Amino acid sequence: MRRIIPILISTFLLASCTTQKSLYSWGNYESASYNYLKNSNEKSTQELIEAYQKIIKKQKGTRGVVPPGIYADYGFLLLQINKTEEGKAMLMKEITLYPESKVFIDRILKMAEK
Amino acid sequence: MLTGCKTTTPIAKSTAYKGMYDEKPLTILLMPPINRSTNVEAKEYFHSTLNVPIDNAGFYVIPPFLSMEILKKESAYDAELFLNSPLTKFGEVFGADLALFTIIHKWDKSGLEAKVYIEVEYIIKSTKTNEIVYTRKGEITYDTSISTGTGGAFGALADMAISAINTAATKYIDVARACNAYTFKDLPAGKYSPNYGVDGEQIAGKKEFKIRLNSNYKY
Repeated sequence: MRRIIPILISTFLLASCTTQKSLYSWGNYESASYNYLKNSNEKSTQELIEAYQKIIKKQKGTRGVVPPGIYADYGFLLLQINKTEEGKAMLMKEITLYPESKVFIDRILKMAEK
Repeated sequence: MLTGCKTTTPIAKSTAYKGMYDEKPLTILLMPPINRSTNVEAKEYFHSTLNVPIDNAGFYVIPPFLSMEILKKESAYDAELFLNSPLTKFGEVFGADLALFTIIHKWDKSGLEAKVYIEVEYIIKSTKTNEIVYTRKGEITYDTSISTGTGGAFGALADMAISAINTAATKYIDVARACNAYTFKDLPAGKYSPNYGVDGEQIAGKKEFKIRLNSNYKY
């Protein structure tokens, strides 16, 4: 045990150094999300759309890909403002990038058709 | 019962969060936060800040707005109802391996000191076994008086630029972000992280912790 603890501590320290840079960049996503959640008006919708677009176009994370859920939530928002085709295209992009999303995206597409 | 068992020797994450390492989960569903505090706004502060740290840890967080809509349609929006019941359905509907429950026990503002006292509990359960695979509870004192011009300068500038949101809300979003970030520092890495599968020997944080944070807290 005496030997294990210093190893544990040093791996912990090393790990905390390497996590400096995030897998994804998010810009002002959280406050835009909050604002939309709270108000859902035209202004907050526009703000959230811009936040999504920035995450997609100016992604600076270490993975170099759009983070989970962004294409999907963006597509879902587009569906709600009647940009149906554009919205569906975004939802399909989520499935391509993250196949694990297919199960609930199919569900939302069905709900949208009703 | 388990949380009452305090220990001073460090525990490796692979032991503390064994279920996470055994089941190798990928997808996680955010249950709408359960707000038991007296502050009605606290729910939204947490709701809009939970996916980022968990995605950043390498998991697939079910898109928050989309899942909110499905949960509402399925009359499953009150997470309190599911805290102690089987989660198999969430596995089927969302393909979620895990479900995160966030319980805000306390969110008190002290006007004079510009401090917020938060008590928040995070519980991650497996939708397959219903077992708790990760849980931490924090008593956090957040000092909001130390703000712009110091550590959070970039965040503050970016937030100011987006105009529509008022400064008080921005401040409290930062509070929730800090609570989430501090807690999930020891979350096992998910499949999209380069640390996936190799972080088991790192030390798990304390199950129950007390911490003072302010906007200089880096994450």
